[in-house]
Amino acid sequence: MMTAHFDRRYLLMAAVGVFVLLIVIYPLWQVLFRSFLDGGVLSLKSYQKVFSYPSYYRALLNSVWISCGTAAMCMVLGTLLAFVVIRTDVPGKKILRTLLVLPYALPSFFAAIAWIQLLGPQGYLARLALQFFGFATVPWNIYSAGGIVFVLTVHYFILVFITVAGALERMDASLEEAARASGANTYQIMRQITLPLVLPAILAGGLLAFIGALANFGIPALLGMRARFFVLTTSIYYALAIPDFGLATALSSMLVLVALVTMALQFGLQRGESRFTVISGKAVHPSTLKLRSLRYPLFLLIAAIVVFISILPILSMVLTALMRYWGAPISAANLTLSNFDYVLKFETAQRAIMNSLFLGAVSATAAMFVGTVISYLHVKAKLRGSRVLDFFATIPYAVPHTVIAIAMILAWARPPVSLYGTLWIILVAYLAVYLPFAVRTTNSTLQQVHDSLEEAAKASGAKLFPRLRDIILPLARPGMIAGWILVFMPALRELTVSILLYAYHTETIGVVVYNLQDAGYREIAAALASIVMGLLIIGNTIIRKLTGGVAGF
Amino acid sequence: MKNMKKLPQNLRRTIMAIVAIAALNPALVFAQAKAESRVLLYTSVPQQLATQFSNAFMKKRPDIRVEIYRAGSTEVGAKIAAEREVGGIRADLLWLADAPVYYDLRKRGELYSYISPEAKAIPADLKDAKGFFTAGRLINMIIAVNTEVIPLKDAPKSWKDFPGVGKKAAMGNPLYSGSNFVTVAAFVRKDGNWSWFERARANGVAVVRGNSEAATALAGKEFGVAMTLDYIVQGLINKGAPLSIVWPADGAISVPSPIAIIKGTKNPNGSKAFVDYVLSKEGQEFLVKQQVIPVREDVNPPAGLPSAKAIKFMPIPYEWASDNAPSIREQFEKTMLQ
Repeated sequence: MMTAHFDRRYLLMAAVGVFVLLIVIYPLWQVLFRSFLDGGVLSLKSYQKVFSYPSYYRALLNSVWISCGTAAMCMVLGTLLAFVVIRTDVPGKKILRTLLVLPYALPSFFAAIAWIQLLGPQGYLARLALQFFGFATVPWNIYSAGGIVFVLTVHYFILVFITVAGALERMDASLEEAARASGANTYQIMRQITLPLVLPAILAGGLLAFIGALANFGIPALLGMRARFFVLTTSIYYALAIPDFGLATALSSMLVLVALVTMALQFGLQRGESRFTVISGKAVHPSTLKLRSLRYPLFLLIAAIVVFISILPILSMVLTALMRYWGAPISAANLTLSNFDYVLKFETAQRAIMNSLFLGAVSATAAMFVGTVISYLHVKAKLRGSRVLDFFATIPYAVPHTVIAIAMILAWARPPVSLYGTLWIILVAYLAVYLPFAVRTTNSTLQQVHDSLEEAAKASGAKLFPRLRDIILPLARPGMIAGWILVFMPALRELTVSILLYAYHTETIGVVVYNLQDAGYREIAAALASIVMGLLIIGNTIIRKLTGGVAGF
Repeated sequence: MKNMKKLPQNLRRTIMAIVAIAALNPALVFAQAKAESRVLLYTSVPQQLATQFSNAFMKKRPDIRVEIYRAGSTEVGAKIAAEREVGGIRADLLWLADAPVYYDLRKRGELYSYISPEAKAIPADLKDAKGFFTAGRLINMIIAVNTEVIPLKDAPKSWKDFPGVGKKAAMGNPLYSGSNFVTVAAFVRKDGNWSWFERARANGVAVVRGNSEAATALAGKEFGVAMTLDYIVQGLINKGAPLSIVWPADGAISVPSPIAIIKGTKNPNGSKAFVDYVLSKEGQEFLVKQQVIPVREDVNPPAGLPSAKAIKFMPIPYEWASDNAPSIREQFEKTMLQ
């Protein structure tokens, strides 16, 4: 082996290493070391508080079990739906897929509101159920831990769905065919061939769902308070309101710790699983499973799920946008287009849409690029130290967005490099927030690409960059596109980071929606969110048309 | 193979197009105004109100550009706390509904003393004697009733009766909202204990996120009565929601939203001009048009809302609330939320 190759790969590692240092490690360190300070002196007082106040350690336990429940349900729902939509001949696959991904574009705050509007004590579905079944009160309560897990699952199952769908699409068909030729039946093939092959993707998606639920603030804040049910993120917000900086950062460190332990567990589970990597790069797509008589019953079932978890919440949001005020009875007299009219004429909203489009597109592209390089260095090149890089790049996912925003102020608001008050500090924060998505999705993609492909190219004398360009990138592309969408959609509606970092003229969509709803204009906020949803659908259609249906969702 | 090559190019083109469109937007142009003409305002005043108000001001003073950062009072507080760690508060002006914050800032020596000539028309209890801050608008914590859930005649007439409503009553969380915090402080100080909250807890009064959540959930019939802010309820009433405002017999909580100049301001003259405008007759009359109760005695309140003089107010122990803020919040959490 020529040493020149090694040098270049280490050069690449050094470059992304500096990136991760500036974007992730340095800002988060600025926060972390303040959790050990008390009036400028080193102290463990804040941590002592976390473990001596029942409300704080109870919040920690609540966070853990809520996230476990959410991750488990996401893995089941996401995997089953991905399998049916990708591998069977169920009718309307494309449209089902698009509709399943759509609710992810709802700000989690709006997802919670939409579900309150549907299932809450005065919700549309609740009232329907009361009339239909003659209940005295509805037999469920959205303002509960169960309600939180339900809404989190509906919000995050898409992370499992997209990673598993990508894995199923890239899977080498020959293994299944060999099994079939040896007389295995469909059930045996699924259990012994397909499931183990997509297991890394299921676990990767499950981890994303777990940590997503752990770090989510909007849903538990809206649904948990009336049940007096608190989790770490809501406790962190309270600590900031007190304001107790040390306590807030100590609680955040606990949150990161939980996420790290879970990540370590997943890393451990996946170790030595090279037997599951699949030589890809062939144009053979896996066969679709013929459902025969089950085709339409299954379609109806999936369609019912889609209507329930995608269409109803979005409709409920659009309905809110058409109302004169939130809670108005549905009647022609109470429907109006004036909320849309208001948003379209609202200069700040127009500017916010431009800003968010820019931030979403740039952060998604940059994060996917860096994420792919990190995954390549770790999963394929297996360089020493690359695992640490991978690890650090994933940490911000578990850090509450408020804390990331504060970290960015502490790190990048001081001369000589002051980005504060410009769009760039929001971009840097978004890169930190979304880099983990990029790393985790490309990780599972590259795991499926067998080393032999790159080794063959290396043996034929191909240098590092041609190898990346001609072998790794084409094979990783489906995963990268899926990851790009996973970053772009939430970035478009991001709130918690932006609200602390935005300045005059750098408002984002999330900021405007928040400020509208905070003034009691929930219907105008819903109109803006509906417009963004419409833009996404149009944008998706254009991307699909331009790329012949390969990109987009 | 040909297809493979074409694909990334198309994708790249699409992404480039998005980036290019977005890059045309003015926020990326770094041409920031000169510091002398720029005034940065941190506020929790509703966005539309703050924007329209500053536009009116800039029409009068085209030489000054007001830049607004608007967020909830907790977010503004967190931003200020982080800025303090890296060289000081960046804002020139602060206009929040969280009055105790100003006492804390005054104690830290972070406020600029300015007695506006306009402040003469403002009652003494609405301004700091040394001019560190002056109330810029009044918002009132009142009892709002959804008359389709609870008929007005059965609704509580005073705060004393409020906890008796039980599960059909809602209040905002003082850990989220500055005006709710002030209310809690006023209640606790008045009784000298937490009995009001203990009663509310025992009867199942719901704690929701903040005042807008309380008002919207009330309009959505999830509750029959709510402790919330007058102008939010008035806005919903104007849109046709079946709500009514009850001015509590034992006194509304009037939350003055003070305006103050930050000591580190690079533009004291511009900041003073803005404060003058907020307190001026013209500025207060502008606010009245937006359903805000004025702080000046010589300006009439908006139609439907009483004047500051006509309302019975509960005294608010600001200094005490500011000094004991962490323990008040902790005790609230223990009493109402655990």
